[in-house]
Amino acid sequence: MTTGYRRLVSRRLFVLAGSVLALALATVGDILTGPALLGIWEVVVALFHPSSADSVSVVIIHAIRLPMTCMALLVGAALGLAGSHMQTILGNPLASPYTLGFSAAAGFGAAASILTGVSLPFLPALTIPASALVACLVAAALVYGFSRLRQMSAEVMVLAGIATLFLFQSLQSMAQYLAAPEVLQQIVFWLFGSLTKANWTNVPITAAVVLSGVLILIPDTWRLTALRMGDDRAAAIGVDVSRLRKRVFFVVALLTAGAVAFVGTIGFVGLVAPHIARMLVGEDQRFLQPMSALMGALVMMAASILSKVISPGSVIPIGIVTAVVGVPFLFILIIRGRRRFW
Amino acid sequence: MLNRRMFGSALMALAVFTAAPSRADATSHAASDHTAGTIVVTDVLDRKVEVPASAKRILLGFYFEDFYAVGGPDAYDQVVAISRDAWEKWRNLQWKAYTACDSRLEGLIDVGEIDAGTFSVEAAIAARPDVAILADWQYSALGDVVDRLAAAHIPVVVIDYNAQTVAKHVASTLLLGQLLGQQDRARALADEYAAAVADVRARVARADAPASKVYLELGNRGPDEFGNTYTGHMWGAMIDLVGGRNIADGQVGKWAPLSAEYVLARNPDVIFVAGSGWLGRDRAVVMGPGIDPALTHARLAPYLGRPGWQDLRAVRQGQVHALYHGGARTLYDYAYLQYMGKVLFPTAFADVDPQATLERFFATYLPIRAEGSYMTRLP
Repeated sequence: MTTGYRRLVSRRLFVLAGSVLALALATVGDILTGPALLGIWEVVVALFHPSSADSVSVVIIHAIRLPMTCMALLVGAALGLAGSHMQTILGNPLASPYTLGFSAAAGFGAAASILTGVSLPFLPALTIPASALVACLVAAALVYGFSRLRQMSAEVMVLAGIATLFLFQSLQSMAQYLAAPEVLQQIVFWLFGSLTKANWTNVPITAAVVLSGVLILIPDTWRLTALRMGDDRAAAIGVDVSRLRKRVFFVVALLTAGAVAFVGTIGFVGLVAPHIARMLVGEDQRFLQPMSALMGALVMMAASILSKVISPGSVIPIGIVTAVVGVPFLFILIIRGRRRFW
Repeated sequence: MLNRRMFGSALMALAVFTAAPSRADATSHAASDHTAGTIVVTDVLDRKVEVPASAKRILLGFYFEDFYAVGGPDAYDQVVAISRDAWEKWRNLQWKAYTACDSRLEGLIDVGEIDAGTFSVEAAIAARPDVAILADWQYSALGDVVDRLAAAHIPVVVIDYNAQTVAKHVASTLLLGQLLGQQDRARALADEYAAAVADVRARVARADAPASKVYLELGNRGPDEFGNTYTGHMWGAMIDLVGGRNIADGQVGKWAPLSAEYVLARNPDVIFVAGSGWLGRDRAVVMGPGIDPALTHARLAPYLGRPGWQDLRAVRQGQVHALYHGGARTLYDYAYLQYMGKVLFPTAFADVDPQATLERFFATYLPIRAEGSYMTRLP
């Protein structure tokens, strides 16, 4: 290995470590903020010594803040990673986990279930997520079906995806149109994306989904790096491009469905996180993937803290805040960057 | 047929005015208010509107129960069209209760619902109403569509019970009385309302107990999600009026959900959950005509299982109540004011029976009885 390459790798490792540290700090900050205005010491006692803490602070920390923080981390990581995969397999900087209509489908699934108001037997709390998930998978099957007819080429996937997006968007509008105002408001709130639904039932489910999504593609890391050089070059060094796209496509569907099912369609993270990551560590997938996940989680943490600070008592849906946090950060990076990143 | 009768009455009115030229001052006064069978009314937005002296073909946007209260059991004889979704969909149980006793309702023309954007100007004009009575929120949502109604010679009168103020309740009721030719009944209703609210205020002022912290939530989403709470208007205005300290004040604009943590941190003394006839929604707090309070309780009980709620003062002291959401912003909402007042200041309201107030109002002014789940404490 040349010293130049070694220096590049160690610089990227350094940036990665710095990001982990920043995320850790943001996570602590998120657990510390909330409308109850608990002191740092109260939070620490409630976290590590619940038996000697005030019962309300224990509930606030363990049943409300921690699940929301964990959910934000998981969703941010999932969307960041899914966005990075999407931009890689479609070779398009505008791609995000929502490009292929998964989020619109999930939104329609949720809206339909809210509109009917009927719950699943035994597990009423899982009705909306299950419905969002099913719709998401239907959308994935649709896009897959069309793309397979044309060997999973990026252009056909994007076209089929956009058609699916519009289809489910209009179905979603239909559901909103049919809804009474109080129901409509609930649908709209779901579509904004909100962490308030996080609890210790759905956080582990999301964690399992996200973790499997991460693990499945680890062996493909080098192939994805090759794919960014173009389909032909990747094929020339022995990558089965169409099968790779298929695999990544399903992982993205899995990650996206897992992310949006419980918290709604939190926008923008999946688009902006991979770009920030690429500016910081470049195209090498060994760094780009963890970095995209880290940046996704970081944007979510920042948005979560901001939403709690600007409006302590009421709930500003986090989906509204993510763009407000993410866009300026992206702009700064674009303005300050000297290299071309895409 | 109706048109001919209207034409006849217009001719008669004209004859009356022209036949009395000697009373010049009276005529000139009447002419400004009373031209050819029309009167000029001032609606709650201070708009001066010229309407038929006795409207026979009314388009009614909202406040369907209050319309009954003012117009009496045959009030809908004077109605040709309604915004049906605002009744049938929003207050489905209420709609069923009224259609069961008044077959006229099913036959009314539906002009669509303004908020949902399904309002059809064409249907409204084709119904040939001689006046349209709309809620303030409907009027503002319509925007310049109102001009098109005006161009079709359909005067629009705006009333407003949502503001939840005595002045607007009284003004809206008197307006309905004028339009329906039921001035005396309207005056009695308005006076009754003003007196009842004044009594609630007086009792609250006399009470020497400290103000309780109140949390009110719309029970349409079930226990897993926090529903809307209100400040300043509707339930928010009612909490203010009965001397409660609304924990949502300063946190929520007009309506929005509070965060779970905030509710725990503020530890309310009293919790009200507003229920309605969301029949298909199998986790919502169901209330309204014909509903067994036991069902309301069964839907309300899971709310206490929310994280930390067992420790809330309201829950520990058994101060979790349900109120019928359709009861706010009505002519009989003072029954709910009495109920809320009695929860907050039991001694000051010791001799008040809100349920009896409600039943009396229904028996006196409405075609249905107050049988069902309207106001109840979770046992």
